[in-house]
Amino acid sequence: MMEFDSTHLWMHFWAIATAATVSAGCALVGSFLVVRRLSLLGDAISHAVLPGIVLAVLAGGRPGGAGVFLGAVVAALVTVWLTNLLGTHAGLAEDAGAGVAFTTLFAIGVVLVTALASRVDIDPGCVLYGILELVPFDTVPIVGLEVPRALLAAATVLVVLVVAAALCWKELVFTAFDPAAARAAGLPVSLVSAGLLVATSLATVASFEAVGAILVVAMLAVPAAAAELLVRRFHRMLLVAVALGVAGSIVGYLAAWHFNTNAAGMIAVVLGIEYLLAAILAPGDGIVARMASRESLRWRVACEDRLASLWRAEEGDAAALAPRTLVDRLAQARLVFGGRIVPGRAGGLTDIGREEARVIVRSHRLWEAWLGRHVALPLDHLHPPAEWIEHHLGAEVRGRIAADLEGDVGDPHGRDIPPEEFPRRAANEPTR
Amino acid sequence: MILTVAEMSFPTGWIPPYNTLVVAAGVASVGFAAGVVGCFAVLRRRALAGDAAAHATLLGVGLAFLLGGGRRDLPLLLGGALSTAIAALLALVLIGRWTRTRDDAATAIVLGVSFGAGITLLSGISARGIPGSAGLEQFLLGHTAGLTAADAMILGALSLLTVALVALFLKESTLVAFDPLFAAASGWPVTLIDYALVVLVAVMVVVGLPAAGAVLVTALVVIPPVTARQWTDSVGVMLPLAGLFGLVAALSGVAVSSAVPRMPTGPLVVIAASILLTISLLIAPRRGGLARWLRSRRTVAAWAEGRLLEVALRLEAQGPFTREQLLAKAPGVAVDSAFKRLVRSAAIEPVVTRAGTDAWRLAVWGRELAAERSRRLAAWTEVLEAAREDARGHLTIDVPSPEAILGAARMKAIRESAAAARSVSGPA
Amino acid sequence: MSTTSAGLEFHDVTVAYGRRPVLWNVDLTVPGACLFGIIGPNGAGKSTLLKAALGLVPLAGGEVRILGAPLEQVRSRVGYVPQRESVDWDFPVTVTDVVLMGTYARLGWLRRPGPRERSLAAECLDRVGLADVADRQIGRLSGGQQQRVFLARALAQQADVYFLDEPMAGVDARSQERIFRVLSDLRAEGRLVVIVHHDLRSVAEWFDAVALIDMRLVATGPVAEVLTPENLRRTYAGRLDVLDEIGRAVAEGGRTP
Repeated sequence: MMEFDSTHLWMHFWAIATAATVSAGCALVGSFLVVRRLSLLGDAISHAVLPGIVLAVLAGGRPGGAGVFLGAVVAALVTVWLTNLLGTHAGLAEDAGAGVAFTTLFAIGVVLVTALASRVDIDPGCVLYGILELVPFDTVPIVGLEVPRALLAAATVLVVLVVAAALCWKELVFTAFDPAAARAAGLPVSLVSAGLLVATSLATVASFEAVGAILVVAMLAVPAAAAELLVRRFHRMLLVAVALGVAGSIVGYLAAWHFNTNAAGMIAVVLGIEYLLAAILAPGDGIVARMASRESLRWRVACEDRLASLWRAEEGDAAALAPRTLVDRLAQARLVFGGRIVPGRAGGLTDIGREEARVIVRSHRLWEAWLGRHVALPLDHLHPPAEWIEHHLGAEVRGRIAADLEGDVGDPHGRDIPPEEFPRRAANEPTR
Repeated sequence: MILTVAEMSFPTGWIPPYNTLVVAAGVASVGFAAGVVGCFAVLRRRALAGDAAAHATLLGVGLAFLLGGGRRDLPLLLGGALSTAIAALLALVLIGRWTRTRDDAATAIVLGVSFGAGITLLSGISARGIPGSAGLEQFLLGHTAGLTAADAMILGALSLLTVALVALFLKESTLVAFDPLFAAASGWPVTLIDYALVVLVAVMVVVGLPAAGAVLVTALVVIPPVTARQWTDSVGVMLPLAGLFGLVAALSGVAVSSAVPRMPTGPLVVIAASILLTISLLIAPRRGGLARWLRSRRTVAAWAEGRLLEVALRLEAQGPFTREQLLAKAPGVAVDSAFKRLVRSAAIEPVVTRAGTDAWRLAVWGRELAAERSRRLAAWTEVLEAAREDARGHLTIDVPSPEAILGAARMKAIRESAAAARSVSGPA
Repeated sequence: MSTTSAGLEFHDVTVAYGRRPVLWNVDLTVPGACLFGIIGPNGAGKSTLLKAALGLVPLAGGEVRILGAPLEQVRSRVGYVPQRESVDWDFPVTVTDVVLMGTYARLGWLRRPGPRERSLAAECLDRVGLADVADRQIGRLSGGQQQRVFLARALAQQADVYFLDEPMAGVDARSQERIFRVLSDLRAEGRLVVIVHHDLRSVAEWFDAVALIDMRLVATGPVAEVLTPENLRRTYAGRLDVLDEIGRAVAEGGRTP
């Protein structure tokens, strides 16, 4: 464990700042990749930049320098070109083509790194999982402050990415959601796609030193995918993705510090946890929300069925069914508590209860009548679907169905369809 | 000959090649099995799911190492790797079922996060200096030098078992991979077979781990099948062929890596496989680049010759023609060389005049050729009108004889139906 | 082969994707031994109805009976021609290989097709007029030929009820006629052929009876009785957005406006 003296704190600060900057850039680019279903591309590019970087370093480029960025961008373009070539000439599916192209380039990179270890100052391990902890030791002075070179590179890339995104916002969003329409509208779609490609390789190279080639995949895809689950609007998704990326980096670094392990790996794990939480807790269609909505529907159906059954009993058709299942009993209790049913053994409907029950029965019989008219169903097949759909009809659709039935007030079984508006005073008298 | 690093640096005397041979045989069967099993992953478009599973193996290796109390027992470590690989595949299925996240992003998430978890665990282990943990990093990029004969035998046995399973259920796997809808409609348990195939890929990824490493083992599963596909149009041939390519790639990768100190095996295996693929992409019959190029050259040449003959026949009605006249009337690629070929084959012959030599006419044979070509074109036109389906894919630019391709009986039937159609629509 | 009076029955079949219903309460009886068309606009749920009959999509309600029995009991007597786009035609199998797949269900696990299956496959290929391309890779066929390969595979199933999903999509007139002729022969042999079809023009010429579908059954019966202007208007023009709206409400577990 490290001690809490000020030098060390500075070190950690710089490392965290680097991780957060890198992560923000990746989340930004990754959002576009995720909505355009190009996560694969991020995967491929992150592997494939390795030989580009190695060759650039071999040619005299400095890690984090412009030459290395250039080498990486070229390597990324080569991967995409290779994938396309394999697709058009060898008839390979995109996944297989990308799989072939990036594993090959990555393998070449690793062999170069290992074989030329004496001439290229890149640790094979760093290629895979980065050396975030060592970032603060390689610094350049800026206005009297020793700033890590990696942070400087990452910050520059981030600024470039943000500026580019702001300038081409309209084009980016349009092409992201409907490339065909964007092309038809005269937007330079292929230019935008190429730009996205370059942006991806820039973000990847900037992250390379800090987190390595493979964990970049997590930084690109995970915050963006999590944000996509959480919000629906694209500009919000970008902000949430960046926030998740930055938060994941900070928490991940601190956790790695605490557990004394690899920071980049831990950041990926924390990002994964963020995604998991988003999948579970997302409003609307998260796992919890969906279960809640299913349960609340079940509950509502039970209550409404109970009310309708009492209404029919009042109508004189049949005796009301006694609540049997646990849910039925709970529904009964809730209806009594809510003033829909008179407490006690006899337990008839209250005025409010009768009002609500009438709407359900109306929905039921309207649907039976509608099915009878539009779907050639035999009489005895009408009840089950109506038993289901009655819980989903709102006032407006009921009105439309009633209008469609042209004032026919009876259901196919010959019973009256209760009216939508019903003077409360007359409610005690059955409609027969 | 394959020598491991350890053996090369062994100071004394003669080393029995037994271990080396067994390791080589084991690695060869791993390469073979990976190629065979990979075929269905590639055909079913699941190549990258295998990659996600591969990256997840690292976590399992770490966990199994801790669980085994720091023993470097290969079967134990691989068992751990297999369980996390399958967990990763399961995560992919669950993400698809429970969330809005699309396949590509789901793959990236599972791959990135599980690899991150693996790295975290392994560096946690090595930071704590647990004895025996030094070798775990070999699973990243593969290193066969440390394999014992016993390890290699286990790997080989697992590989052969996998191949046997695929061979046994070849009929069912092919059906499900080609047309899952039809398979389900005729009562096959498609989901079960599908999952079984994916699990087999996970098994091969794990078995290939010592040879190729977590990061690159997917190449061992993807590249050989792609290579084999270039050579054949039949699953029955593609499977063993992919196995063979995998075997060659694995063996040569291992051989080279053992000759270079500190060189991991995985990248070399991948590069060997890629070299095989590149060669195949170039020289494979029919699908290969060379074959395509030759084919397109041939058809272009045949078309140019045909056009020249056609134009020459027309020009000749007004007597001999010059070369310029002929080429001007039939512009296009490759007409120059086509003209030369026609002259050389004496289909076009010079007319000897006093003024010079640039006057040409069709020889008797050339006239026959031209007539035959226009007859074939007319026949094809008829086929196209009467039965477009039959013509498609047959009528190439070099205008083959329709009778030779469709058969005389079929041509007769087409002619008759065309004639019938004409007589119906004729009066109107 | 004998056929019962009803070849195919849908009893109040409702199909939902997720929770959202896409086919509402279809109640339909198809007599045996006829060419039966399922007709309707795009997105009407025609293919879904077919898949429901074959057990390829789960039923949200109702029941399907084929030859008077549940699907599981008669699976071996059912043949299927899926949509042509549903497979990868670059797949490395030959025409014969694909047709042999029709015999796999009969063969069961592990057994390979033998000379008997091969001669059956050759016979089926001959029937659809593809004997001369038997050894070709399936990608090197025209659209109509590919469709005929699927038909030959279904023939190799030697079924009593055939389901075909859009067999005429992207097929030229000659292939269409050839396919229809084979289907008519099947009917003449006493088999039931159910076809999802989009082209109204050829319906009267070939089909015995049809069902008009647009998210629900609009009308069914002999062609002349069903293809009335009124029914067609109800199917093609009178889009029932009530069903759409309720479907959405059901999917969300809420109520319509």
